[in-house]
Amino acid sequence: MSDLRERIGTALGSGWTFAGLYAVSAAGPVRVVLADDAGGLRVESADVVRAEVPSIIDLAPAAGWDEREAHDLYGIHFTGHDPLRPLVDHDLDLGTWTVPVQGHDPYQVAVGPIHAGVIESGHFRFHLVGERILHLDARLFYKHRGLERAAEGVTLEEGSRYVARACAACAVTNGVAYAQAVEQALGLRSVPELARVRTTLLELERVWSHLNDISAVCAGTGLAAGAQHFAGLTERARRLNARLTGHRLLFGTVRIGGSDLAIDAEPIAHAGRELEELQAAAESGWRELVFNRSFQDRLPDVGVVRARDARRLGATGPAARASGVAVDQRAAGPGLAYDGLEPVVPEGATGDVRARLEQRSLELTQSFDLLDRLLTAPFAPSSAENGGGELALGAARVESPRGATLCVVERDGDQLARVHLRTGSYANWPVVAFAAAGNMLPDFPLINKSFELCYACADR
Amino acid sequence: MLTLLRDLRRLRRQIALPRPDRGRSLRIRHADCGSCNGCEHELILTSSPYVDLERFGIGIVASPRHADVLLVTGAVTTRMQAPLLSAWNAMPEPRRVVALGDCALGENVLGTPEEIVGPAEAVLPVDLRIPGCPPTPDEIASALLALFDGAAPEELPPATWRATG
Repeated sequence: MSDLRERIGTALGSGWTFAGLYAVSAAGPVRVVLADDAGGLRVESADVVRAEVPSIIDLAPAAGWDEREAHDLYGIHFTGHDPLRPLVDHDLDLGTWTVPVQGHDPYQVAVGPIHAGVIESGHFRFHLVGERILHLDARLFYKHRGLERAAEGVTLEEGSRYVARACAACAVTNGVAYAQAVEQALGLRSVPELARVRTTLLELERVWSHLNDISAVCAGTGLAAGAQHFAGLTERARRLNARLTGHRLLFGTVRIGGSDLAIDAEPIAHAGRELEELQAAAESGWRELVFNRSFQDRLPDVGVVRARDARRLGATGPAARASGVAVDQRAAGPGLAYDGLEPVVPEGATGDVRARLEQRSLELTQSFDLLDRLLTAPFAPSSAENGGGELALGAARVESPRGATLCVVERDGDQLARVHLRTGSYANWPVVAFAAAGNMLPDFPLINKSFELCYACADR
Repeated sequence: MLTLLRDLRRLRRQIALPRPDRGRSLRIRHADCGSCNGCEHELILTSSPYVDLERFGIGIVASPRHADVLLVTGAVTTRMQAPLLSAWNAMPEPRRVVALGDCALGENVLGTPEEIVGPAEAVLPVDLRIPGCPPTPDEIASALLALFDGAAPEELPPATWRATG
C-alpha cells in the first residue's frame, strides 16, 4: 500500500510536480501524472484493492479535488484522505461537503448556481462574520455532463469532439492537448509547420481571453468605460478569428495527426495589421486604467495568494505567475513553436487582484509578439510524421489562457478506452476559494474575475 | 479616463449603430444549465460597443423576480434542473423562455444520459429558439428583438409551467 506513496514522495522530492490523478474505472487502476520543468510527463499507476487506494493528499495537496472526484465518480476510497468530502456528488447534506467553521456569530451566504450576470453556473457558500469571509466552500459540477465517460468506446477521432466541446474558451488548448496525447500514443511526431499553426491558434485563443479578462475586472469594479473598451477589443479579436478560420471561437481548427487550415497571404497580412491595431488599442486602454486612481485603489491586497500557497495548492497559469511562480507550460511544451519563451511575472508579484490583472497585460504583449513572429507566411495543410512506437497511453500538457492543461488518452487499438482532461481552471478553483478567505464579501466578484476561470472544463 | 471616454465616443460614431425606431424594455434572466460557455461568451458581447443590445432597453437582471425572459444556455444537466425550475417559478407573468444555442435546442449534445435531462424544452415551454454553436452576438440580438417585436403579448400562447416527466 505504501508503494504508490513511496514512488510519488520520491518523485516530488526530486523535482517532479503533481499534474493530475484519475481512476481508469471503478476497478482501477488509479493513475497519478507528474510533470517536470522540461515538459516531461510521467504516469504512476496504483491498483485498486477492495475499492481502496492510498491517498497522496498530504504529499500533494493539489490532488484534493482529483481524489474527491475519483471517489464520487468511481467509488474508490482514498485511505488517509479524511474527511473525503463529496465534490461531484451533490445529494448530501451541508455538513458533509462544507468545512466546519467556528467564529463569533458566523453565518452563511449561499450564492448560485445561477448568478447575477451572464456567467456560468456554480455554487459558493461563504462563511462570514459581518462582511468578512472566514471561509469559502465552492461547489461546482452543476454543469457536469459526463463527457469523459460518454467518450469511452468511441474512435480516437470522434473523441476529439468530446474534448473540443468541454469548453469554448479552451477549445484550442483542449484540442491541441488531446491531439498531442493521441499522437504520442500513435507514435506520431509534430513537424514545424504543424507546430506553427497550432501555436498560432493557441495564441489567438489567449489574446481574446486576456482582453476579455481585463474587461471583466473593469466590470468587477464598476468601471464601465474600461469594460466597454476591452469588450470592443474582444469583439474585434473574435472577428479576426472568424476571418482567419471561419469561427469566432476557433472551433473545428484542431484535429489529430495534422492540420487542414489553409490561410493565404492576404488574410495573413490583414491579420498582422489588425493585431497591430489591437495591440495599440489594448496598450492605450491599459494606460488609461493605470492612471485611473479610483480603479487602481480597488485592486491591491485583495484576494492575495502567496507563492508558497500557490505552489502548495497547485496553482497554474497567470494566477500562479502573478504570485511569483515563474512557470509557463509554453516554455517547456514540445511539438509547438514557443522556442525561447520565458515565463513573465509582474513586478513585486504580489499575488493580489492587481498582480493578476497586470499579468494579463504582460502576457498580451508576449502573445502579440509571438503572433507577429508566427504570422510571417501563409498556412498550408500539414501532417505529423511517424516518429516512434505505439503506446497504450499518451499524455500532453498545454498552456491554456488559465494555466497548464493535461490530457491523458488511453487507447484500445483505434478506440478511446479512457480520456482524462484536467484543465488550468480545474487546478485553480481551489485557489480561488483559498484567495477569498479574509476578504470582504463585496470584493469576491472582483477576486473571482481576477482568476476568470471556466466552469465548463472543470465540470466536464 | 477622459481619453478612454473620448475613444469610446469616437468608436461609437465610427460604428454608427442605428438608433432604435421606438422604445422597448425587456429584462432577461440568464441561466446556464450545462453549456460549454461558448453561448455565454457571445451573449456577453451583445453589450459590446459593436452590438449594444442595451440601447433597445434589453438587459440582464440579477434576479428572476425582475425578469421578463428566462434565457437558457446549454442542455439541462440533472443538477441544474431544480435551479432552473426555481428561477422560472420566481418569475412574474408575463414571462417567456428563450433557448439559446444548439445544446439548449437539443442539437449535438454530448454527455451521458445519467447526467443530462435534455434540451430546455424537456423542462420548460420554450417561446424562442436561437440556434448556433454558438450564435453570434448579432444573431442573438436580432432574435431577441424579433421576440419582442414579432407578436403582441396576447398573440403568444400562454406560458404554462410543465413538470418534468
